[in-house]
Amino acid sequence: MTNNIKPALETPRQKQNRHKAMEAVKVLNAIKKEFKEPPKAMNYFYDLFEKVYCKQEALHTNKVKIGTMCIQIPSEIIYALDAVPLRLCNGFYTDDEIGSDLMPSKSCPLVKATVGHLASENFSDKPDIIFSPTTCDQKTKAGAIVQNFGYEVIDVDFPRTKESEESREYWRRSVRKFSSDMSKNLNKKLTKKNLKASIQKIGYAQTLYHKLNDFRKNRLVPILGKDMFLITNAFFFDKIDNWIAAVEELIEEVEQRAANQIHAGGKISPRIVYTGSPPIFPNYKIPLIVEQSDAIIVADETCSSNRMFNDRVSVDEWFLNDMIDSIADKYLKGCTCPIFTKNDDRIRRIVDLVRSYGADGVVYQAFAGCQVYEMEQRSVLAAMEKEGIAILYVESDYSPSQQGQLTTRVEAFVESLKNRRRMKK
Amino acid sequence: MMKNKIKNIINNMPLNKVRFWIQLVMFILFAYGGYVFIDFGSSIPIFACPYNRETGATCYFMPLQHQLAMPANVLFGAAAISVFIGLLTFIAWFVVLNKAWCGYACPFGTLQDWITALRKKLGIRYSTYSQPQFDKLSKIKYIFLAIVIMIPLLMGIGVLGGEWSGAFCQICPARIISPMFVGDFSQWKIDFSSVAAMILTTIGVLFAAVFFVGSFIKKRFFCFFCPMSALHYTMSDLSLLKLRKDGDKCTKCGDCYKVCDMQIKDIADDVTSTNILRDDCMFCMKCVAACPEDDALHVDILNMRVFSSTKEGFAKRMGMSHLEKNNDQ
Repeated sequence: MTNNIKPALETPRQKQNRHKAMEAVKVLNAIKKEFKEPPKAMNYFYDLFEKVYCKQEALHTNKVKIGTMCIQIPSEIIYALDAVPLRLCNGFYTDDEIGSDLMPSKSCPLVKATVGHLASENFSDKPDIIFSPTTCDQKTKAGAIVQNFGYEVIDVDFPRTKESEESREYWRRSVRKFSSDMSKNLNKKLTKKNLKASIQKIGYAQTLYHKLNDFRKNRLVPILGKDMFLITNAFFFDKIDNWIAAVEELIEEVEQRAANQIHAGGKISPRIVYTGSPPIFPNYKIPLIVEQSDAIIVADETCSSNRMFNDRVSVDEWFLNDMIDSIADKYLKGCTCPIFTKNDDRIRRIVDLVRSYGADGVVYQAFAGCQVYEMEQRSVLAAMEKEGIAILYVESDYSPSQQGQLTTRVEAFVESLKNRRRMKK
Repeated sequence: MMKNKIKNIINNMPLNKVRFWIQLVMFILFAYGGYVFIDFGSSIPIFACPYNRETGATCYFMPLQHQLAMPANVLFGAAAISVFIGLLTFIAWFVVLNKAWCGYACPFGTLQDWITALRKKLGIRYSTYSQPQFDKLSKIKYIFLAIVIMIPLLMGIGVLGGEWSGAFCQICPARIISPMFVGDFSQWKIDFSSVAAMILTTIGVLFAAVFFVGSFIKKRFFCFFCPMSALHYTMSDLSLLKLRKDGDKCTKCGDCYKVCDMQIKDIADDVTSTNILRDDCMFCMKCVAACPEDDALHVDILNMRVFSSTKEGFAKRMGMSHLEKNNDQ
């Protein structure tokens, strides 16, 4: 009798993995099954997320892994040195709970989840070094907390104003230092050749993203926002060549769908521009609610998606230092992160997205505890009102409990946009 | 359909290559036109220097200085009409191309681009000015423009003597360098005939020497100080060719600023002006070619768009439209 009872006491690590897999499966199933049939090429991404987050399979076994705490660490330089960037921004509630013990209670769930994940040391691909740009307060301080867990964390100075010439110069110096730090750490030389190749490869990936996005400007939208978020999110950790191949294939299929007039939404589904705190897998709570309420996300202004791909580097003379400066400028000057003192650029960007993607309204999500997005809410709302653009502001976190209330608000907003569309007709 | 096709071809063109060939043709025309009796007259808005005996045209500053040096009663009397016609002809030429005269036609500008190409071949990186340096130096061209206009006027009223004739030409490096195009090195000398001549030609020789060093280190080194560029700017509103920006579409990524030979910051940072042509601009259109947003920067003839920034064109020019095996440029 007793033989049958297995000593199956679950380790904390297994428990964490099981919980995360449950979160991941739930969201993946929703993405796959609760909408009109997605493009077949999306299966690559569904499988990828399943492999990494449900089965904890490692992707990069033979390369140096560079953890990045924010979007501003230039992947161009990392790839040029034959290492892999892994963006550590995290969307798991399981990790958020672990992090809650290590951060103040009213902190941003994204930062808590990132810290929690690093505290657990439970990775399918564990970063060898972590670079932490001094962007928002919470991330800046998180770098030091993470260091205490025993990781090698290198701070990368990032300015909080971007208009001035001084901050441009300051950031350029930071990026130069980052390049030499990387070079030393990896014992590899950054050359004209490898950096140019890497800039062009990432540029090509960005070009693909732009191509895909162009279809979302169509009246009949062949691909939904939830899938787009998954694609861009995969860029956080996927092998770049695989990602490129998968997106190339997807573009072909989406082109076909567009030609066949396949519409992923309903007859009068309102078109939404999504902005605010970044949805990171599996925290697709708000995007899913929006699209489950019969709206379509046609564009976004978030650092987990559009902001990561939009601005491409231009170089006049392909010399090493010139390329590094160009890269630096892209990560600072084009950035619309709310950590900056003034942020008219973000407002202009949202308005432009609404116009060029023919959107009916904007959904602005802020994580409770993501202070900068919360603080910028008023100015963005006022600006949208001035432009006559409908906007909904929602606050959310990673907990699974507030679903009902959020759904009600989003549905009401979508319904009002539908009414507008009906009246226009 | 056809129209869109043509538009696409233009917007996707490899601007640097196209520009290189236009500049080459223009250079031959203006530096060697004399051999085949080409003469575009004496009101051309570029440094087509007549000290080069085979020049295909004459820089407007030459006749302008002579005219302004005439005694006041002549200047406003008998000569007024010819002065006026000279100015009108200058404006007529200018209106067609705006500052693109600098970026595409000026032999002196082209020469600097070739010196830049040489530096690139040697693998040496260019230098830039810091912003405060830029702000100060950028004003010098107006001082030169004042020299072009004021010294002849002072001669006309008798304050300065005949030895000041063509004062700007005497200090202009183009006077010394342009004849070299046809193998004439005779301008490399200091004229000791008078104190004024000595001072002016000494400055000229020094300036010409600095020109070679300067333009090797800094892209379009001289253009930054060029009084012709200053004069252009005072008239640029009249031109048919416009450099425009749609600030709403600009993300301020700085790609245009990065490629600007003249380091014009407004091109990236100013999101309110529609007319984005600045006094230092030479209308090379590299900014338009380097802009990754659809229609954020565009070149118009009156209100017709002739060249626009596009995502696609950007990708093509930067080698980002397909995965390429790396080849050094």
